Amino acid sequence: MQTHQDGNGYSMTFDRIISECRRKVESPFQEINKWKKKSRTGLAVGTFPVYTPWEIIDGCGMFPIGIFGGGSDIEIEYADSLIQSFICSIARSTLEVGLKGKLKDVDAMVFPSICDVSKNLSGIWERNFPNLQVEFIHLPQNMYSESAVDYLVHEYKRLADNLCTMNGSTPKEDSILESISVYNENRAKLRELYEFRSKEPWNLSTLELYIIIRYGTLVPQSVFSETLDKLLESVLLRDKGERDSVRVILEGSFCEQPPLDMLHLLEEAGCYIVDDDLLVGYRWFMEDVSTEGSPYRNLAEAYINLSYPSSVRHDGNRSRSDHLLEKVEKNAAAGVLFCAAKFCEPALFDYVLLKDALEKNDIPYLSFEFEEKMGVFESIKTQVETFVESILFFS
Amino acid sequence: MIVAGVDVGSTATKSILLNENGEIIARGLTHTGANVVKAAERVFNQALKMADVEEWDIAYTVGTGYGRFRVPFGDTQITEISCHAKGAHYLHPGTRTILDIGGQDTKAIKVGPKGEVIDFCMNDKCAAGTGKFLEAAAKVMDISLDDLGVISLKSKKPLRITNVCTVFVESEIISHLAWGKKPEDILRGVHNSISGRSSSLLRRVGLEPELTFTGGVSKNIGMVAALKEKLKLKINATEDSQYTGAIGAALFALERASIKSVTTN
Amino acid sequence: MMDEIKFKYQGVARTYQRELLDNWYSGISSAKEKGEKVAYLFISGNIAELLRVFNFHLVYPEVNALQCGVKKVAGDFIMKAEDVGYSSDVCGYVKNDVGLILSGNKGPFGTLSPPDLLVCTYSGCMTYVKWFEALAKTYGAELFILDVPYLREGKPTKGDMKYICSQLEELIEVCERKTGIQYDEDKLKEILGNSVKAEDLWVDILQSAKNEPSPFDAFFEAVFFMAPIYVLRGTEECVEYYQKAKLEIEERIQHKTGPIPEEKFRIVMEGPPPWPHFRSFWELFKKWDVCVVASTYSKVGGIWDFGFRHDPSRPLESIAEYATNCYTNYNWKMRSEMIKSYIDDYHADALVIHSVKSCRAFSVGQADARERFIREYNVPTLFIESDLADPRYFSEAQMRNRIDAFFESLEHRRLVEV
Repeated sequence: MQTHQDGNGYSMTFDRIISECRRKVESPFQEINKWKKKSRTGLAVGTFPVYTPWEIIDGCGMFPIGIFGGGSDIEIEYADSLIQSFICSIARSTLEVGLKGKLKDVDAMVFPSICDVSKNLSGIWERNFPNLQVEFIHLPQNMYSESAVDYLVHEYKRLADNLCTMNGSTPKEDSILESISVYNENRAKLRELYEFRSKEPWNLSTLELYIIIRYGTLVPQSVFSETLDKLLESVLLRDKGERDSVRVILEGSFCEQPPLDMLHLLEEAGCYIVDDDLLVGYRWFMEDVSTEGSPYRNLAEAYINLSYPSSVRHDGNRSRSDHLLEKVEKNAAAGVLFCAAKFCEPALFDYVLLKDALEKNDIPYLSFEFEEKMGVFESIKTQVETFVESILFFS
Repeated sequence: MIVAGVDVGSTATKSILLNENGEIIARGLTHTGANVVKAAERVFNQALKMADVEEWDIAYTVGTGYGRFRVPFGDTQITEISCHAKGAHYLHPGTRTILDIGGQDTKAIKVGPKGEVIDFCMNDKCAAGTGKFLEAAAKVMDISLDDLGVISLKSKKPLRITNVCTVFVESEIISHLAWGKKPEDILRGVHNSISGRSSSLLRRVGLEPELTFTGGVSKNIGMVAALKEKLKLKINATEDSQYTGAIGAALFALERASIKSVTTN
Repeated sequence: MMDEIKFKYQGVARTYQRELLDNWYSGISSAKEKGEKVAYLFISGNIAELLRVFNFHLVYPEVNALQCGVKKVAGDFIMKAEDVGYSSDVCGYVKNDVGLILSGNKGPFGTLSPPDLLVCTYSGCMTYVKWFEALAKTYGAELFILDVPYLREGKPTKGDMKYICSQLEELIEVCERKTGIQYDEDKLKEILGNSVKAEDLWVDILQSAKNEPSPFDAFFEAVFFMAPIYVLRGTEECVEYYQKAKLEIEERIQHKTGPIPEEKFRIVMEGPPPWPHFRSFWELFKKWDVCVVASTYSKVGGIWDFGFRHDPSRPLESIAEYATNCYTNYNWKMRSEMIKSYIDDYHADALVIHSVKSCRAFSVGQADARERFIREYNVPTLFIESDLADPRYFSEAQMRNRIDAFFESLEHRRLVEV
């Protein structure tokens, strides 16, 4: 219902910011050069999804930037010869970005232990980019071991030390603590946006929300913080009018980045996505990380105890099925869209367990796969429309 | 002395007869179809007829290609990779790299100055970037395979074909057609997609000039154009390109026949 | 020729192995009935010795999966798993196992007792974790993840070792609780003593392939010879097995014979075998008189030929070290160096990389390795693809073509060089 006019000025502010952010998201690596020119001696550190400790990189005075694939327009010319066809697109296209020379301004690349592909990818990068510092961090998979936190503290320190060898500096705990509080603030703002979307999904689309977070992985956090403030203020003044759509949870796209057009299409087809696991590794923690004491320990404890569950971490006593059911309930969702990247083993394995849990609870779901470079979405659209119809008409 | 090479590919079967000076004296070409043995016999007889000789005049026959073990009159079998290398060297002695796009395989072969195989790479298990990809496009667009290349050359605004899977490319084409896109733009997109896959395969063995383009798809002028644009390189592709494997097989036959005649004398 | 000479020890290893494995599987079958405890675990970097202290019957789902592959029943099991939602793109071993469970846990090896405890050593792959998460749910069994950090620094860090050791201590408590048996370090030391003996003998056998001709195919034969060291390690029978196997190999050396009547090419093999087509795959190489003189798959459980041994004087530490010391837990720099040393030390002519879709832990990086070996090390390298479990991914014509072309070119190159 559109009973009164939009608060025009503010709504335009929101739209304008989103379209600026979108431009950055569509050519993601320009910011690095800008930052480097400004900082003169600064180092830029690329991070591969999912869980990279951004705070540590930032706290070492470096610029952490999300390098999450090549986007939907990249043409694969080199990477195919180094990566087999049954491997996910993000592994291939991220390598292609590097082989095309687009990461000249990046000094180091961090691969977290999310899956077997990312483990071995670090070795491929080492050989192909001898001038790049390649770091692999092994995040704990045994969350209930007494020693997991100690281990992760050790691992985070190792990363900080290794990164600092690039410019002969030493990691400073105070400055990492400061970074933690900056990231805490930005993440709290994102949580606010997530809550807002769940309440008024017609006033904040998933495409917009995704663009906002992705933008946050590409710019310095102080810049992002300002943008978030403006967005939070202006989004409240939006009044788009509610559509007759089905509230759903989007699940499975936590690593490879879905094409923007596809995110748009999912909602166009009659869904409100009210929660998702998009860029979950940037949003990462469900609560603030402590800013007192040892930053490494705080981050390690947060990883073990406060992370959003995802298919790339074994959560011990916390079951991912339960977490998904909670999400459905909390957000009053009517169904789940499983949207896994083609060839993504963690998501595809989890799908079976998650869908069983949904079936037991009579929650409808739909499953389809995507690829970063996908350009035609007819079949997904038809499936989602049918899914929406079946919920609207028959339940 | 006359020798023969028979190349039984997944789509087409080819034969070549050489005289003792290594000159081509006859050719045969047929669709392979369901019966590999018959196809091999058919092309062999075509060539015999053309050269006006009888089967017993042939001193040695080498079979190559997928159906090489099914050539009933073959004295020995050699893979088409070795044969393409030898055949390309015969047709274009400066060849250092070969791109062979056949019905179900695409191969990049690196060859030495004597036509010996130094390294080779083939498409992986999926048929992306092979002749099958073109066949799928031809089928869904209801255009003859032979016309695809010519039509693609008319394109002014090539479309980007994003699916590499032969099965899914069909639905991608259908949806482009449904949106009213021009057939030539779609086809150029298909050709560009194959040339992209091919160039990555060529990179695997290391692309060195001269590049010789062989296999059934080498007749397709749209494919030659797309490759030239992509690789920015002169490409050897002639009328005889699709006979390269059979020529190589016949050259091997000539070598073996000479050894045989030496040892029996 | 093999059959013309009287061989005293011919086939001894094989016969004894069959007996050992039959006994082992029948123990697993009857465990439930007898009320004995069963633990499931994976091959890579496994901690079998520690579990033996608590008298667990040990089940290795990967071994079950490969048995199904060899016995040609994997295809049906895999399709059963796909029917319940598993993607065609995920690991065939897991799907095979799920299909097996859906079929009442009855395989060519008999019926398996369900697990009392699942121990997932995360030194192989992430898929291990996913696999046992699914099993934990199906059986309602307790799952212990033994997290083993990837060797990203080329060796385990101090933090890694502490982390693994303290997890082992936590696992001991779990085992005590599950079995009611007290942890007994002396017993563990004794078991580890058996491990070391078997490990020494196994390394002798592996290194016998340095002989020319090689008495032993370090891939096609090794994948069978290696079974006891991975599944029965720590038992006296395992030591006995390798004593017998070594006699058989020594006899072959004496007679200068081996698996190939006349060895013409010596190769190093990288990657797992295509189990459902094992025989025909081997035939494709035999045709060219190829002997594999070293392989990486035979190091999938653990690597001893560079000096590692279990150490009874440091029981838990050496078990922890072993857990990190398996092929898929090595980074690619380590893997390449290992392969390179095999090529040099075993006088190999070429490298063959068999890339399997199921196992990303093995396969991601192989295409890059191909380039490394050809361009940087100048080693002729063949790259072929299929799968270790899924029979649908094996195309014999395609495979034959590539293998034939590769050895044709090697042969041709030899002729040209002469």
